[in-house]
Amino acid sequence: MRLRLPPLDWPLAFATLGLIGIGLATVYSATSVPGAHQGLWAKQFLWFVVALGFAWIIAAVHYRLYDSIAWPLYAASLVALVAVFAIGVERLGAKRWIEFGPLQFQPSEIAKLATAFVLARFFDHARLDLRKMRWWLPPLFITMVPFVLVAKEPDLGTASSFPAMLVAMYFWAGMPASQLVLGLSPILNVMLFFLTGNVWWFAGLFVGVLAWARPRVVVLLAMLALNGAVAVTLPKIWNHMHEYQKRRIETFLNPEQDPSGSGYQVIQSKIAIGSGGLVGKGYLKGSQKALAYLPMRHTDFIYSVVGEELGLLGSLTVVLLYGIVVFRGYRLASIARDGFASLMAVGITTALFFHIMVNMLMTIGWAPVTGVPLPFLSYGGTALIVNCIQIGLLQNVALRRREY
Amino acid sequence: MPQGLPQRDKDGRFALLAGLAVASFGVVVLGLLRLQVLQHDELTRLSEQNRIRLDVIRAPRGAIRDRSGRILADNQPSFDIVFRPAPIESTLRVRAAIDPVWLRRVAGAIVGDTTDIRRKVLEANRTGQTAVLRRAAPYAVMAAVEESRSDLAGIDVQVAPIRRYPAGAMAAQLLGYAGEINDRELEERADKGYGLGDLIGKTGVERGYEDMLRGVDGAEFVVVNAMGKRVTTLEEGPPRLPVPGRDVTLTLDLTIQRALEVAMGKIDRGAAVVLDPRDGSVLAMVSKPEFDPNEFSRGISFDRWKELNSNGAFPLLNRATQSAYPPGSTFKVVCMLAGLKSGEVDPESHMPTSCNGGFWFGGRRFGCWEHGGHGSLNLVDALQHSCDVYFYQLGLHLGLDPIAQMARDLGLGERTGIDLPAEAKGLVPTQQYYNQHFHTGKWPRGVLLNLGIGQGELLVTPLQLATMTAVVANGGHAVRPHVVQSVQGQATFKIPKPVEPGVVTDQANWNTVHDAMHRVTIPGGTANASRTVPGMNVAGKTGTAQNPHGKDHALFVCFAPMETPTIALAVVAENCGHGSDWAAPVAGSLFRQIFLPDTGAVNERTLHPVVAPVDSAAD
Repeated sequence: MRLRLPPLDWPLAFATLGLIGIGLATVYSATSVPGAHQGLWAKQFLWFVVALGFAWIIAAVHYRLYDSIAWPLYAASLVALVAVFAIGVERLGAKRWIEFGPLQFQPSEIAKLATAFVLARFFDHARLDLRKMRWWLPPLFITMVPFVLVAKEPDLGTASSFPAMLVAMYFWAGMPASQLVLGLSPILNVMLFFLTGNVWWFAGLFVGVLAWARPRVVVLLAMLALNGAVAVTLPKIWNHMHEYQKRRIETFLNPEQDPSGSGYQVIQSKIAIGSGGLVGKGYLKGSQKALAYLPMRHTDFIYSVVGEELGLLGSLTVVLLYGIVVFRGYRLASIARDGFASLMAVGITTALFFHIMVNMLMTIGWAPVTGVPLPFLSYGGTALIVNCIQIGLLQNVALRRREY
Repeated sequence: MPQGLPQRDKDGRFALLAGLAVASFGVVVLGLLRLQVLQHDELTRLSEQNRIRLDVIRAPRGAIRDRSGRILADNQPSFDIVFRPAPIESTLRVRAAIDPVWLRRVAGAIVGDTTDIRRKVLEANRTGQTAVLRRAAPYAVMAAVEESRSDLAGIDVQVAPIRRYPAGAMAAQLLGYAGEINDRELEERADKGYGLGDLIGKTGVERGYEDMLRGVDGAEFVVVNAMGKRVTTLEEGPPRLPVPGRDVTLTLDLTIQRALEVAMGKIDRGAAVVLDPRDGSVLAMVSKPEFDPNEFSRGISFDRWKELNSNGAFPLLNRATQSAYPPGSTFKVVCMLAGLKSGEVDPESHMPTSCNGGFWFGGRRFGCWEHGGHGSLNLVDALQHSCDVYFYQLGLHLGLDPIAQMARDLGLGERTGIDLPAEAKGLVPTQQYYNQHFHTGKWPRGVLLNLGIGQGELLVTPLQLATMTAVVANGGHAVRPHVVQSVQGQATFKIPKPVEPGVVTDQANWNTVHDAMHRVTIPGGTANASRTVPGMNVAGKTGTAQNPHGKDHALFVCFAPMETPTIALAVVAENCGHGSDWAAPVAGSLFRQIFLPDTGAVNERTLHPVVAPVDSAAD
């Protein structure tokens, strides 16, 4: 009898397994220092087995089911997000978890999946016309509700993945890139202001965007007004901010300025990665890690341990594996013939992609410290299960890519 | 086909998303290249700094020994509870000082005061230097700290040598004490390499010989974790070993010192000094009340410090060198010698007015301590009986200059130049002094009367009195009192030359003075109490100094054995009364102990103690 392998997306599967393997090894290294919880890698391995089971089931069930339960699941997840404020467990000043006996889970992760399902279901429609408000406004609401709830926990890192998903799915559903950029211009405006300190950089850029998008007059006036308002009020808001609020923003932009606060973590992370050099200090031999300078070294800053111990070689390997995951995710979206499956794949992949970037850029000091774990690598059962479910969903699409 | 999705453009859209992914990961790769290639060296250096700390290895301070090598001060290991500031980048560094929970925990563990701990921690955070929160912690505190180490970020136990004075309060003011450097000293000695937490000599020999006693601290590189806790020493950088301080050997003789302490046992406040009249070595020095310098080694509390300084007794004050008293009748020796040297009087000279208990001058009666009067005495008898009326007239007869000159030649009125800090100068009035205080040439001659009996403006330290006695004993050779005999490794160490010139006069005059002083100690003299060793002659002079603030001070100076003196002693007992009752017995007790060892007192010194020549005794 010939063994018939299921038509899984094998590059995606192997890249994922590779990342989880590196993750387990790094968790072991990060917790091999005296005083740390030394058994965490084994616990993480058990989580991996559980996560694999979840992924299997998620991949086996036809995605039609997710399509059909999208709205009830979405509603349930919103209820859970509200409940987290009442019965959630507080850790490090944030309420993100709900406890079920020994099990804990983050409603925001369920909400992320549910939102992807609902958006995919909404955009997968015969009369979809994103030029009309009736079609582009509801997705905005669908996304903003969980976004606001999650941001309030506060968990800005996870919350930001909702709009990221939305933008990618708008685009995948047919919205022209130029319109998207125009729509995002107020956000770009704010970011550029904090990066450059004045509004003129954006003003120049905005002219270019307008020339590219060529919006209708109504839209043009609306966007002009919106960005004008931002440009006028932002410096005033800045001047009225509390010192600590300003400092928080400045710390992000220049962590060396505040080496005692969150800048400490970033500086230590950069020192760890940078001192790793080309080939690293050797597995288990990271001194920054061993001497506990590196904060949250087995969770949020695990990539710094990789950088310190395995050097550029190890860091680039991880980047490559993530690249494969993201590339295969988008590839599956483009291969899938079914609209829901295709859109869902884009949403799921984008959420993963976003988390990866936020964490990696944070560890190299190019994004704020938001407390987002690195998918597949960071220690943490819930995150690993959810990430494997996401891969399971992508494999679900892969298994049925020829279906309509 | 799915409804609504623009299938025609799907590949283009995929290309754009894939391009976005490539660009994003490209940014990460650029960031990695920047850190791991471009900034690799710089960040490696920071990584090293992060984990390596330079720890001081305290150099042991030189020991202080007596002339026979017996230890007077040395070191013992002390377990100090210290706070090591976290690396500058650490959040702990800021938190440590402002976290009340942490402060309370630390205060609880080391049994300390939160305000004090907070102040030291803030200072340490500011300077980056280690702060000693508790010196010489007892075992219970050590155990408490070790137990809750993980909750006490930055707290560490450090072994450092502290000063030990095995003889306790003995010769405490002479030895002085060493304690943690204070801000003012730190500022003054910044260029000499002193740092926070250093031990520094505060008084006495510890201060006078600070530069020799102090060693050079070593240093070692240690690997520390983020809490500042030492993990291991660094293999790559060997430690710089500390250079111990030099041992200092004193001229002090512990046996005589002990005997003098015993002899001074009944005196609450006062001082006594024993010099070797042949070379000016200080053989013993007592200042009462005393203190225990060990208290300072362990770190003295502010309350205790205040207590020591505020009860009026000033135990930290070395009365032997830092307090000046009127010499009283002991000064009559000076007047007598001045008279003999000038040739104005001889041993048989009588004064015009015989003593009937008082002397009228300038319309005022100057009394003699013997209210019944002494009758007409010659010079030798006048000294033996300490007749004030005789010396009033002698003072008047000689005038100011010969007496003041003799006083100076004998070592009064100027610092003796002893190698102890903050010596008092005393006062021997001169023409110039009176001209300044009265109108020029208009000062009353009545001052001469007071001068004759050692009252009035005259002020001398017990050490000056002992010096005077030594010069009288050795027949006029100036001596410079000193406490240090040799310094380890300093072969060239020399005792400085005497400040005063000494006295040149006929041997007959010396014999007269010695004879007169001898009569003071035989039955019928005022200091018979000092003569306790059969067959050994003592020459001395008592004094009772009037004290406007209270009871008279009792004084006594003497040397023995009279024929070949090895001991010159001065005793001042504050507010006790007559010198014959209080000061002379101190000499008696001392001599009995050191010359009659079989009386049971701790002693091995014989009638003819050998004093090593100072110059060859170095090292």
